[in-house]
Amino acid sequence: MFRNQYDTDVTTWSPAGRLFQVEYAMEAVKQGSAAIGLRSKTHVVLACVNKANSELSSHQKKIFKVDDHIGVAIAGLTADGRVLSRYMRSECINYNYTYESPLPVGRLVVQLADKAQVCTQRSWKRPYGVGLLVAGLDESGAHLYYNCPSGNYFEYQAFAIGSRSQAAKTYLERKFNNFTASSREDLIKDALIAARESLQGEKLTSSVCTIAVVGVGEPFHILDQETVQQLIDTFEIVREEETAPAEPEAAAEQDAATEQASGADQGGAGNQGGADQGGSPMDI
Amino acid sequence: MDTVTESQRTLYPYVTGSSVVAIKYKDGILMAADMGGSYGSTLRYKSVERLKPIGKHSLLGASGEISDFQEIMRYLDELILIDNMWDDGNSLGPKEVHNYLTRVMYNRRNKFNPLWNSLVLGGVKKGQKYLGTVSMIGVNYEDNHVATGLGNHLARPILRDEWNENLTFEEGVKLLEKCMRVLLYRDRSAVNKIQISKITEEGATVYPPFSLKTYWEFSAFKNPTVGAEGSW
Repeated sequence: MFRNQYDTDVTTWSPAGRLFQVEYAMEAVKQGSAAIGLRSKTHVVLACVNKANSELSSHQKKIFKVDDHIGVAIAGLTADGRVLSRYMRSECINYNYTYESPLPVGRLVVQLADKAQVCTQRSWKRPYGVGLLVAGLDESGAHLYYNCPSGNYFEYQAFAIGSRSQAAKTYLERKFNNFTASSREDLIKDALIAARESLQGEKLTSSVCTIAVVGVGEPFHILDQETVQQLIDTFEIVREEETAPAEPEAAAEQDAATEQASGADQGGAGNQGGADQGGSPMDI
Repeated sequence: MDTVTESQRTLYPYVTGSSVVAIKYKDGILMAADMGGSYGSTLRYKSVERLKPIGKHSLLGASGEISDFQEIMRYLDELILIDNMWDDGNSLGPKEVHNYLTRVMYNRRNKFNPLWNSLVLGGVKKGQKYLGTVSMIGVNYEDNHVATGLGNHLARPILRDEWNENLTFEEGVKLLEKCMRVLLYRDRSAVNKIQISKITEEGATVYPPFSLKTYWEFSAFKNPTVGAEGSW
């Protein structure tokens, strides 16, 4: 995308019928670190790649609980994401106060989209620079929506946004047909694998990946680091190779469970070492 | 100089409806009310429908000021309209409507300008039966059987004894008729033109009005003054 004379104002159309400012806002989403969502009939899982700016800083919060039955993962300008999360929480609380009932996800998403649309049609505003993956449960089942800065929203079985999300999407495209009937554990496993895909070579640990779940009988909550690390270890997805032979993997399982890391080839053992050697000060 | 008129607020009701009685039964909710609109002590209007379906899942019965009930109906019509306009497969159930009404009634009460009604809200959604009531001051609760006004004192004791959760439609109607008959005998603002309505998963039905058989041949009624010299 190149600069042109139609991109100064959000209220200026280009001759080709495009609003460049809105498109630039969507670019901001693509620059943010990846966020992934997938759903089954009864559960929705959100996974985020959390990159800290430096080893000294903490990770940015990218997943927000909106209500017991709704949560959101963001990619892009996280400040905009926080503000929109606050709006969503407010809407949920107000609805609950009036009707003693949880706000249907589909309605919240439409309200959010209409709010985003306003910013694309006022000369004194700018579009929100954040994409939101809204995960929620209501009477009509489990839902995953994507809200973008343009004011559009779409419902998905699985989706990924942010940088290197294409790798995650490719993985999800292969597997999504099975998601509806997936169990909670399989869904989380697929989310972790998709997150690993978008890490592209880097080690998947609980310090770079955050997972949140919502399901029937399970209020939205973010899994704590320990649990995530255990899941990663159990699912053996530290390194890229899904095609790794079964035997070394089985051996690695025993290694990880029993010994401290000794720099072995197997990825599983490397996990234990990470906490001692490569982890940032904030982890310890 | 008098430049600003004091803002008006409700002080007393004018045209009022009497008790509403409602019960949960096997398939849903049954509700009964008479069709009278009293103007003080005069039984002035005799075809007032006080039971109305709300959306797909609820029934509303109202006692108290009829004009305020009509206003509530306008609020609810707008609420249901907007709910339908979402067109998204979600709909407001009886619990949501009941809570909405509670908020409205309580907020009006706080402004010292109440809607002078006692409301009964019943319905079924996804197999779940719901029956609740709200008063003009915002007091709200749910139960297996509810009533407004004198119904609380005359009908509910009967229901406490004779209600069970497996009533058939016929048994439910018979029970409600028993309650309405007592109210007819003892409530001076009751008229003998009763409407019964039901709501089930399939929908709401408001039945045409009918009248209750009453019995006045008690021997004590024959010579009412026999024990009281000087009365008429």
